[in-house]
Amino acid sequence: MSEAPDLTLADVSRLEDIVDKTALTEVCRSFFDLFSIPIRVFSRDGSLIADVHETRAICTYVNTLREGRPACSALVADVKNIDPEDGPIEHPCFTGAIYRVVPIDYQGRRLGRFVIGPYFPAELKQVPGSLLVLDPEIDGEKARTALGEMPRVRKETAERLAAHLTRILDLIIFSGHRSFLTSEMHVASVRESFRSLAEKNAALQEAYDKLKELDRLKSNFLATVSHELRTPLTSIIGYSDMLATGIAGDLNAEQAEFVETIRSKGDHLLALISSLLDLGKLEQGRVQLSLVYVDAAALLDEVAKTVAPMATQRNVHIDTRVEAPLPRVKADPVRLRQVLFNLSENAMKFSPDGGTVTLSVRGVELEPDGGGDDAMGLVLMAAPQTALELSVTDEGPGIPDDEIERIFDAFYQVDGSSTREHGGTGLGLSIVRRLVDAHGGHVWVESEVGHGTTFRFTIPETDE
Amino acid sequence: MQLDFKARELTIKLVYYGPALSGKTTNLQSIHQLVAGDVTGRLMTLETKDDRTLFFDLLPLTVKASKGLQVRVKLFTVPGQVIHNATRRLVLQGADGVAFIADSQRSETKSNASSFVNLRQNLTENGIDPADVPLVIQFNKRDLPEIRTDAEIDALASRGKEPVFKAIAVRGVGVIETLMGLLENTWRHLEKNHRLEEKFGIETEPLLAELGRHLGVEATAQPGIGR
Repeated sequence: MSEAPDLTLADVSRLEDIVDKTALTEVCRSFFDLFSIPIRVFSRDGSLIADVHETRAICTYVNTLREGRPACSALVADVKNIDPEDGPIEHPCFTGAIYRVVPIDYQGRRLGRFVIGPYFPAELKQVPGSLLVLDPEIDGEKARTALGEMPRVRKETAERLAAHLTRILDLIIFSGHRSFLTSEMHVASVRESFRSLAEKNAALQEAYDKLKELDRLKSNFLATVSHELRTPLTSIIGYSDMLATGIAGDLNAEQAEFVETIRSKGDHLLALISSLLDLGKLEQGRVQLSLVYVDAAALLDEVAKTVAPMATQRNVHIDTRVEAPLPRVKADPVRLRQVLFNLSENAMKFSPDGGTVTLSVRGVELEPDGGGDDAMGLVLMAAPQTALELSVTDEGPGIPDDEIERIFDAFYQVDGSSTREHGGTGLGLSIVRRLVDAHGGHVWVESEVGHGTTFRFTIPETDE
Repeated sequence: MQLDFKARELTIKLVYYGPALSGKTTNLQSIHQLVAGDVTGRLMTLETKDDRTLFFDLLPLTVKASKGLQVRVKLFTVPGQVIHNATRRLVLQGADGVAFIADSQRSETKSNASSFVNLRQNLTENGIDPADVPLVIQFNKRDLPEIRTDAEIDALASRGKEPVFKAIAVRGVGVIETLMGLLENTWRHLEKNHRLEEKFGIETEPLLAELGRHLGVEATAQPGIGR
């Protein structure tokens, strides 16, 4: 295409842009087969788009004459260059035949013209003088015979044929124009949708980057503030400890009780701050794991012993269950203990009076993951991997389905009111998930409202 | 607008905008039926699915005015469905005037408003100040029950600055008046910006009268219910 299509006005600039030349030639061929009248279609700039004709006997004869050949060429050139500005024009040939030149207009614009002819006007009864004087050597009889082979068409019929062709051409142009616009609009619409989506994506990306930066600032702020809080708090706890032990003199019962309250609240606050610091470090991925082969059964026992006093206090029974054999996995025992401790503490908090909290460990085979389904060479890449699966089960109220996704978020508690009833910082599970993630493991919850909750996590076998 | 002074040819683009199913295509169909065959060309409907416009409809009008001037008016409709916004914005490009076809049904009041907001957004995105676009509003479907009353529309119309027309496009009522109102509005705007009379000798009043005659109405269409 020579120039960009004008979609704004949906205009046609060139006939050849929208009309299929082969189809147009077929239509012209069919017209010729019906009426034996030659037809040529020209675009506005005069290029020939369709041409169906057979050389007439008279034309062949004229071209054998010395004067005839140039006269014929001149006439053909004339016909080709006629611009029928104000409507169809009849252009006579010196043989008496006629060319009819008809404009092709579309949506108020001239797109080209078509020429039908030469044909012999039926009204003309004899060979015109212009043919007989063309060349001194012309043979009148030969010319008459040749002319007789030309189709004879009445003026009125020629007009009707031209009008018919005009309508057919208009339909062809209209259909061509429509499919041309359809495909252009298709491409343009897709491009425009893409452009506006790309703009929106850029805006979203910018907003996302801003949020990420804010999140980073928040973590920094949290870490700094926690650190600054811990220093004076250590003094508060230390001095209240000293007061409690009587270093500064004996305390009466009421004073001792007050000091004990200060100390225990101080401890609570310290635990909260430590968790915040932990979380901050975990969020920034700054936690260093010291990986060693761990004895999971012993770890479970150890945690059970640690939480025993709290269990007694809450009248909760602690049970441990080990399903041997266990795979040998590498983990950071301190962090693993912290995970189990957080989960056990949580479980006890939500256990009913006289309930049981079960800590279990077993070996499991992980679902093979070769880089996602349909990944290349999945069958080769997805080697079986074993893992240690640890779980903590309680007989508490359970967690509603719609809350399960959010319980690992920092500061989130299923029921705001339970925070006050059960205590806690709202950070425990969030720390659990980050620690498990740091081990390359996965943590999830299975819960049924009214029937308790099980937290499970896996620590995969380390690749050697 | 496109002015080819050598060919004495002027082309104007008018866009029929509005919410889905408000009758934009029906307006063009009625104009096609009502206006003489030597003025209108074929009505082109691009890509429809279940009788809904996907790209646009196009009705070309050609008027041979005096002094050999040929005025070509191209009427476009946009696809009304919300999802075709990119196409709507494309069709709106280069519009010299906009006819907003509103659905008179009370239940459609909100979708009229949001389509109008969408029109303003798309004009702005195309780099055109919405306040600077010749606009007429048509309340279509006056024959349906549960519509906003004449009194209601008249009261609001008298406060707004755009001409408001009432129509029953399926019956051809009010469509020519809307078109003529838009043509007049658009022409005055083009005259103001391009000084066509001074530069090219195209006189406004006689031309509008001539266009009106070709469309079969008096030149100055008064807003109100069509004949």
